Amino acid sequence: MSRPRQILAMGGGGFSMEAGNALLDDYVLSLTSSERPRVCFLPTASGDADHYIVRFYRAFSAGRCEPSHVSLFRRDGGAADLANHLLAQDVVYVGGGSVISLLGAWNAHGIDVMLRAAWEAGVVMTGLSAGSLCWFSHGITAFHGEPKAVRGLGLLPWSNAVHYDEEGRRSAFRDGVATGELPPGYASCNSAALHFVGSDLARVVSSREKARAYRVSPGGPDTPIAEEELSCDFLGALPEPALVA
Amino acid sequence: MGGGGFSARPGDPALDRFVLRLTGAPRPRICLLPTAGGDSESQIRRFHEAFGDELCEPTDLSLFRLGHNPVPLREHLLSQDVIYVGGGSMVNLLAIWRVQGVDRILWEAWRSGVLLAGLSAGSMCWFEWGVTTSSGRPTPARGLGFLPGSNSVHHDGERARRPVYLDAVRSGKVPPGWAVDDGAALVFRGNRLAEVVTARRGAGAYLVTSRGEQRHAARFLSDPHHRRRESAAAVAELRRLRLAGLGGRD
Repeated sequence: MSRPRQILAMGGGGFSMEAGNALLDDYVLSLTSSERPRVCFLPTASGDADHYIVRFYRAFSAGRCEPSHVSLFRRDGGAADLANHLLAQDVVYVGGGSVISLLGAWNAHGIDVMLRAAWEAGVVMTGLSAGSLCWFSHGITAFHGEPKAVRGLGLLPWSNAVHYDEEGRRSAFRDGVATGELPPGYASCNSAALHFVGSDLARVVSSREKARAYRVSPGGPDTPIAEEELSCDFLGALPEPALVA
Repeated sequence: MGGGGFSARPGDPALDRFVLRLTGAPRPRICLLPTAGGDSESQIRRFHEAFGDELCEPTDLSLFRLGHNPVPLREHLLSQDVIYVGGGSMVNLLAIWRVQGVDRILWEAWRSGVLLAGLSAGSMCWFEWGVTTSSGRPTPARGLGFLPGSNSVHHDGERARRPVYLDAVRSGKVPPGWAVDDGAALVFRGNRLAEVVTARRGAGAYLVTSRGEQRHAARFLSDPHHRRRESAAAVAELRRLRLAGLGGRD
């Protein structure tokens, strides 16, 4: 049976930001059909920071999954090894940092092509912040100062904003969608995650009760922008529900 | 530099001091670009350990940390006497510089007289071609092309590079250029080689053409003790000035 194409795009959260709250990371593992999922961490957006890799291995310990990571700053294998390694995963988990550097380095190593192939083969793609923006057609990054639009890998035909509760990003995202610089899309706050099956949003989940996510599209003649708050399932309170597509 | 400087183990201050002297500035402003190493903390720490004891104003610019430590890239780089590029992945270095526009800023800095220095990936990046091990095996890779020709580093230290580089030049895949040992460095004025210097006996640089490699004359950099003592006294004075709030900049 072929696996569906899935992406869990976190506005912020998981082991990178929420020490002691594993709800989003647990949810990622639950999206695979594997008892001991193979999870590969890509810390490229942080420059493959050592401390970040260590925290990944603490959060995704060998007891619950088969963790690995790929460092593009310390590569020791060929392209074929890398493509095969990514294809063999159940989850590819992309860390936060600079989405611009992330995409530049991925492109130089051909990772963008490998990730698309892995996604199409049913490897669950996830990540937070830069690791969320990268999957979409467009995103808003504020890593380098003023929020600005960037192109992503385009696995999802929408635009994306993360840390939507932070000052500046919201207005830049709304303006971009209103003017047509950005396609319609989805914004998520810290602790909220957008779960896509194929290119459609299947569910919004969160690791905190008050986390929010929004669908943002151009409005009509009177309101230039339509921002609709999405219903969000808090993962701490619910038993495993059957809402997933 | 084919290798050496502060990132060598054990540390190799002679090449780094030579870099500072080349500027002619009494207290050169020197900025480390550690991009090729993913802005690694250990590279940054060793840079500051090495240059913190020299008469200079060392800073580092981490492109991966701009999120919580914003720096005006162009302004900061153009105000330097030296931009010192650390080693690591040449492929990542160039990819990340390009997407952030750092390649254009470096061109502007070089044209305006900022000394561009670096070792390993931070050496090859200035040429048209280098030999990278960014994906494991040595492979020819394009550089920025500020300097004509090609460059390969760690010529005596990393055995696998040499045949790949010589083959690439012989077959015409990359233009002729310079192979440089660990502890040796090429000095260019404009885009012409001015001299080869070495900090290690036996280390050198080789002109590599389709006919093979030919050793170039080199000047050995002595780093006598009296200079070190003089420098230590000056550093102590500089530290007192900094503590008194007089020696700072910006």
